[in-house]
This record gives sequence, structure tokens and C-alpha cells, in this order.
Amino acid sequence: MALVTYVQHNGARHEVDVPVGDSIMQGAVNNMIDGIVAECGGGLACATCHCYVDEAWADKVGEPSETENEMLEAAASERKKTSRLSCQISVTDELNGIVVYLPETQF
Amino acid sequence: MAASAPVTGEIKIPAHVPPELVRKLGITESPEFLVNPHKFMSALHQNCPPIVYSYGDMTPPAWNLMKYEDAYFVLRHPEIFTSEGTGPFPRDPDDYWKIIPLEIEPPEHRKYRALVDPLVSPKAVLAMEIGIRKLANELIDNFIDKGSCEFAKEFGRPLPVGVFLDIMALPREMMDEFVRWAMGLLHAQDRETNVRSMGEVTQYLNKVIAEKRGKLDGGLVSAIVNGRPGGEEMSAKETFGFLFFVWIAGLDTVFATLNHIFLWLAENPDRRQEIIDTPDNINNIVEELLRVFTVTFSGRTLRQDYELRGVKMKKGDKVTSILPACNYDPEIFPNPTEVNFHRPRKPVLTFAGGAHSCLGAHLARMEVKICIQEFLRRIPNFKIKPGVKIEYWPGGVVGPKEVPLVW
Repeated sequence: MALVTYVQHNGARHEVDVPVGDSIMQGAVNNMIDGIVAECGGGLACATCHCYVDEAWADKVGEPSETENEMLEAAASERKKTSRLSCQISVTDELNGIVVYLPETQF
Repeated sequence: MAASAPVTGEIKIPAHVPPELVRKLGITESPEFLVNPHKFMSALHQNCPPIVYSYGDMTPPAWNLMKYEDAYFVLRHPEIFTSEGTGPFPRDPDDYWKIIPLEIEPPEHRKYRALVDPLVSPKAVLAMEIGIRKLANELIDNFIDKGSCEFAKEFGRPLPVGVFLDIMALPREMMDEFVRWAMGLLHAQDRETNVRSMGEVTQYLNKVIAEKRGKLDGGLVSAIVNGRPGGEEMSAKETFGFLFFVWIAGLDTVFATLNHIFLWLAENPDRRQEIIDTPDNINNIVEELLRVFTVTFSGRTLRQDYELRGVKMKKGDKVTSILPACNYDPEIFPNPTEVNFHRPRKPVLTFAGGAHSCLGAHLARMEVKICIQEFLRRIPNFKIKPGVKIEYWPGGVVGPKEVPLVW
């Protein structure tokens, strides 16, 4: 388990223990957290699980793949420096404590 | 989508199904349902348990799920609820083919979906916006001066089918034929029409497969015919099953959705004005209209025994998420029958969800948005032709038969 903090656009914070190996997206969806839609369920096909990784964690999370990059360009909310699709971030022990911010809208 | 072929033989209710949960709800087929399908489905939250075992004259028995949370869970857990073998179209058991990618589960599923996703990604859809706007305006040009149109026939039908033919790189002349086949498959109330339509579609798609083989024209048909999921060639059956599914999925759903929306717009002049007055809110407007006018259902089969909301289900049981009802769940959308363009954002189940979520969701949203914008820009005031009674198609895609408008 790793502790993931989801901060919604309205400021509401949710702390969730996410099993190692699950994605940040799955952690949100399994706990019914608003702000992550994940229509395609992690298929890298919908860009509706967009999140902004807290800058302090950005290096540990790493860079998006080429396909993810392309999807991020078409995401509904503004793309920022630490934008990622949360389905593409696997939770590891190293990410215990990570904070992600959710955008105003996913489509 | 629910089956449109009649249920034959006697319905056997399995022993594990409690008699008090057995219903003949009539979803997609009963006269009560067809008077006003969405009113009927929203009322299920008051007059029906959240999970029942229902069947109809045209609908094979299945657990029907009304609750948003249940459908949300089922759609996102393919390891428990599989979509294999759930496609609603008549197939010869001795020459069986899979509906692809729907009837293939993760992780294999991704290999197939990857062939077509780039053609309908958010980015690809944005690139189509200008073309869709142009088509919408051409269609409006055809009828604006006569002061009336049969919306379903003159706009609701040709717009999505035209867009889809373009994406497939097939000629627009095929439009009428496509629509006729789709109607025969999805709305026919007799098995002969079903089977005949299936035969005609099969013949046409096989011809197209042969024509597009080896030709990369950027269209959806070519992407499927020449695609190699996971680097391996598809069998003839796989290619057909893939193309068939994309073909049928693109024909009827946006059509039905637009017809519902424009019927509602015609009957609600103040809400029309609200939309015109709040152009920046268009995305929320589209999302809310997609919530209240959801047109399809999603079927699964249990891979194992499972208990959901206290109901004990058995391996092999069929489960249908009544998506339009789920989108009226008062626990998730308070005051659910109110069309409210300022709701807190919750993911709607209009496009199902999970790995098999609608491939065309981004495209559908874009089409609905453009249709509302362009139609209201050019024809801001219209109403239903006086004296007309609106009737609905029975079958797996819920929609009005005709929407005659005057202005």
C-alpha cells in the first residue's frame, strides 16, 4: 500500500491507501473520487483521468510516453508542466505520500 | 444494446433467482415503456427494486441493474463480469464470429482497440470539427427556407451517418442503405428482417474488406482491414467481426440521441434560450443532455458466482446495466429528472465505462455540441408540428421514430 492524496479542483482532499501495482487512476475510481472519470478504464484512449502531479513528486513519477503525450495535448483542461494521465502512473513504495491535483473538468 | 430478436421457447427462471425479484419490466418493448422511455426508466427508482431479474417477449432474461454504483462497478470489473458472448446480433453457432473489440477482454482487448483509437481520439476528433460544422450547415441549408423539417430524417440521421462514412472512408451514397440495414438489425420486430439485414450487411462488408485490403487510405475500414493487433494478422472472421461492430455502433446511437435532444428543445423554448444565452457552458449542457437522454444498455455475463447489493448471482447469469436508469439514480444525481446545466460534475454512464467504454464517445460529444450550436444559431425558434404524436422505436437503441419540426 502507498498513501495517495487526491486534491479536487474545489480543494477537497482525499487520502487513500492504494495497493502497489495499481494505478493512481484505479485508486481514485475504486474510491469513487470525483474528478477522475477514466471512461476507458486505463486504455490510454480517453484522456479523462488527467491529473497534475505535485511538483515535489514530479521527478519520481517520470515522463509520459509518446502516446500519453499525444492524449494529454487533447485533454479538456489546460496542460501544465506536471500533467499526467493518472492511469499511466503505477503506484510503487517509492510513491508513498504522493499528492496529485485534479483538474476542473475531464472533458 | 439489448437483443431485438424475439425470445423463443419457454423462459426458465433459474432456481437461485428469488421469485420476488422476477419481473417482466418491458424495457425497450412494452407499450408502457414506448409511451415515454426515459420517464419510464427514471421511474424505476421509485417503483422497482434496484436489481431485478427481468425478461420480455424480445428480451432474454438477465439481471437488470438500475443503480449507478452497481453499473459503474460491473463495467469496470471485466474479470468478474465478462462481455464475451454478449453481443446482441444473430450469429450462426456453427460459424461463430466475435464482435470485436467488445467481446475480447483485457489485456488482449487493447491490441485491437489500439488500431482504431487514434482515429477517434480527442485530438483526431478536434480535427474533424470544421468538417462536421460544414455538414451540419449543408443539411440546414436544405430545409431552412421551407419552415419545417422532419428532424430525424433530414438532420438526425444524415449528420452522424455522413460523419461516420467520412471516417470510414466510404462513399456518402451508402447513407440510405446503411440506415436501412441498421434499422433492420436494431429495430425490426421479426427475426426474418433481422436475418435478412444481417445477410445484406455481411455481403457489403465483405466486399469492402476485399477492396480496402492493402490500401492505406487513413480511414477506419482500412485501419481495421490492414491492422495487425499485437503484430499478428487477423483472421477473416476477426476482421469481419471488428468491422461489423464499428459499423453498427456508428449508425444509430448519435441519431437517437439527437432526436431526443431536439424533441426536448422544441418543447422547451426557455431552455433553448438559456443555451443560446450561455455559450460558454456548452460542454456542461451537452453532458447533462447526454445524461438524461442515454440511449443504450450494456450486457455482461458472470464469470463466477457473485453477490451484488445482497443479490446472489451465479456464474453464467446475464447482467444488463440499464444505463439510462443509472443516469437517473437520485443518489448520484439529486432531483434526477430536472435538466440542470449546472450540476456538480459526475461521470455519466451514457458511454458505459471501463475498457469497453464507447470508442466514439469523444466524437459523439463533438457531434451533439455542433448540432446544438449550429441549429440554434440558424433556427433559434421552432416547435413540434401541431397535432403530431411522438412515437418511439422498440429495440436496443431508444429513440423517437419521427421529430417533425416547424418554425
